[in-house]
Amino acid sequence: MHDPAIAATPRGEAIDGRRLLGEAVLFGRELRKAGLAIDLGAAVDFARALAIVDIGEREQVRAAGEAVFTRRRDDRPIYDAIFARFWRSRRRGWADERLPLEPERRETVPPEDAAGEAEPTPGNERLTADQDRAGIPIPTEGEDAGIEDAPDALTIAPDAYSRLETLRHREFDRMTPTELRDAERLVDVLEPRLERRRTRRYELHAHGRRLAPRAMFRRNLGTGGQLLSWVWRRPIRRPRPLVVLCDISGSMERHSRLLLRFIQALAAASSVKTESFVFGTRLTRVTRLLRDRDRDRALAKISDVVTDWAGGTRIGESFRDFNLHWARRTLRTSGVVIVVSDGWDRGDPRLVAAETARLRRNCHRLVWLNPLAGTPGYQPLAAGMKAAYPYVDDFLPAGTVASLERLGEILAGVRTEDTQRGSEAAAHVRNVAVETAPPADWPPPPTVRTPSPDPTVARPLDEGGR
Amino acid sequence: MAKDPAAIDALASSEAIQAAFRERGYIADRSIATAVFLALRLARPLLVEGEAGVGKTELAKVLAASLGARLIRLQCYEGLDVNTAVYEWNYPRQMLEIRLLEARGQAEHASAHDIFGPDFLIRRPLLQALEADPAGEPPVLLIDEIDRADEEFEAYLLEILSDFQVTVPEIGTIRAERPPRVILTSNRTREVHDALKRRCLYHWIDYPTAEKEFEIVQARVPDTPAALAHAVVGFVHRLREADLTKVPGIAETLDWAAALLALGTAELNGDVVDETLGVVLKYEEDIRLVRGDTARRYLAEVAAGT
Repeated sequence: MHDPAIAATPRGEAIDGRRLLGEAVLFGRELRKAGLAIDLGAAVDFARALAIVDIGEREQVRAAGEAVFTRRRDDRPIYDAIFARFWRSRRRGWADERLPLEPERRETVPPEDAAGEAEPTPGNERLTADQDRAGIPIPTEGEDAGIEDAPDALTIAPDAYSRLETLRHREFDRMTPTELRDAERLVDVLEPRLERRRTRRYELHAHGRRLAPRAMFRRNLGTGGQLLSWVWRRPIRRPRPLVVLCDISGSMERHSRLLLRFIQALAAASSVKTESFVFGTRLTRVTRLLRDRDRDRALAKISDVVTDWAGGTRIGESFRDFNLHWARRTLRTSGVVIVVSDGWDRGDPRLVAAETARLRRNCHRLVWLNPLAGTPGYQPLAAGMKAAYPYVDDFLPAGTVASLERLGEILAGVRTEDTQRGSEAAAHVRNVAVETAPPADWPPPPTVRTPSPDPTVARPLDEGGR
Repeated sequence: MAKDPAAIDALASSEAIQAAFRERGYIADRSIATAVFLALRLARPLLVEGEAGVGKTELAKVLAASLGARLIRLQCYEGLDVNTAVYEWNYPRQMLEIRLLEARGQAEHASAHDIFGPDFLIRRPLLQALEADPAGEPPVLLIDEIDRADEEFEAYLLEILSDFQVTVPEIGTIRAERPPRVILTSNRTREVHDALKRRCLYHWIDYPTAEKEFEIVQARVPDTPAALAHAVVGFVHRLREADLTKVPGIAETLDWAAALLALGTAELNGDVVDETLGVVLKYEEDIRLVRGDTARRYLAEVAAGT
């Protein structure tokens, strides 16, 4: 099928176009199997490219394929790995090496990644984080194991407190599997109402506050330039992007499943851009996985991908990773960050403080959901929580469905009057990495919010929802 | 896909592109040159991504210069719309025209075409790029920082980039006789939509190797003594390995070399680094981290390495 001499064919000579196309399509197929988003058009482009570059020179062919097939930086390591095999087998001819990729394609993650699990040390942390990102395994189908058993494996927490009989105020960690399912349904019907931001785009509107000169001229052309009718415009409002950082460490085990459900419900609200990350000892992006329409399968996939379920917590390092690598791409300073964590942290509290401060400066609003905060008399005493507390705009319990409803209100911007705004918080956090003790003139931290009994505020959902 | 003989003569291979770029002070590695070459030959837009200050915008400029083509630049921002990117009617002039027609008593004979004609059209960058003189070299259209524009504008670009045509309802469809060479850049403050990426070739520009960056410094700030250039490049490379909020790009290296030159510095030492660190690092916490002992340690490491 293939003449090995083709690799040495000098440019300009007649090349068998159909064979090139065949090779290009084959290569494209291998890349697609490895998880790159390749369509046939890209393969056709590659065939056209092969006809005009020097196909005897490895670097040119590699660069040509890269330009055509990759769409983002993260594609590159995968592309390089597949290309190396493509090039090798090309020299020998595909026919000889009967699809050499087939048995290995699950390990298309770059090889150095296998060793990339080492603890990040200050010197190579950037490098390690990059590998982590590139190294998120490509989800595989049909491996729905693990999470289904999770509810039965729950242990009852001694600190959990549950007094109210209604489901809405039941702590999640005390629920039977049936109740848990009901609660999940409640969370699913929670329609997130989100704070909106004025965009720089305008729409014509009768009650707008600004003149729309263009439309006005246009409309008044008919009257020969007499500005008889006035036209107004107003800014279009869009929900702010949401970023959720969910703690999945051991101490959060009982809560994280339900909270992930809640994040799924948020992400499903079509108009909102939601980015989701989970962290224990390191940060993992799960946005794409959570998009799966089958929610149980999405959770199962996450549990496959995440390697640090129910392990220790390193809040500081995880936030740092987010700040360095994701904040600019996901927040653009106007987003709302929701952290879900109990604040139990094994790392250095100073790092937690510094990175939480930086996170706060990177976003519009920082909401912290703490499953333990619903407990009467709760004080943020856990080292990590204490360190992060001064920079949090809204500190909310997350143990009950009602408290999640409150989150909806927070996100809708209903209760903004008593939150600490960004500039104030940021002004006080500059030297945190150096100073351990906060100066005496710090603003008092926000008060812990407990679910309000006011029916206008906490809209009961059980009647409408079920 | 209109192929253009003139351009192919000048930039007939990726080697020729590398050479032509080098002549103009842009040191391109083979993979960039190949990507540009393919974009020219396949008449496809090229989407260039990379950290700030690695020479994405510069690539479009040097391409235009190498081709002897006009560079048309569209800087993107949120809220960028058709009226500022493509075309707009010159309403004040239309109003005047109506008044004039009235004054001359011709108002009732004038048809809509008299005021909605090409004379009253204000051409914004995208339309300029499509309407360029068919006899000359097609222009290079630089759509800069597409990630800053919003999704609506991205969606609008799809039509232009795949068909190289624009529809103005009053006039009709304006199609480019010879499509412009399009370069899009993105800083990745958000992910560009896949539909747009599919229409483009893609290239990620990495930070250069030390040798390449040294060449860039020599090409861009030619008065820099070689020893100083080596020291600057070595230090910047050490900084890129450090755990900083924002590591310096090539632009910072060049600024730094120029600054040191302006200060009359012949040698990079700890005090000089402390004084001029603000040229390289733009975050206060980064400066605080590096200034002083760390800078001296890096300097020693760089000196030991060379």
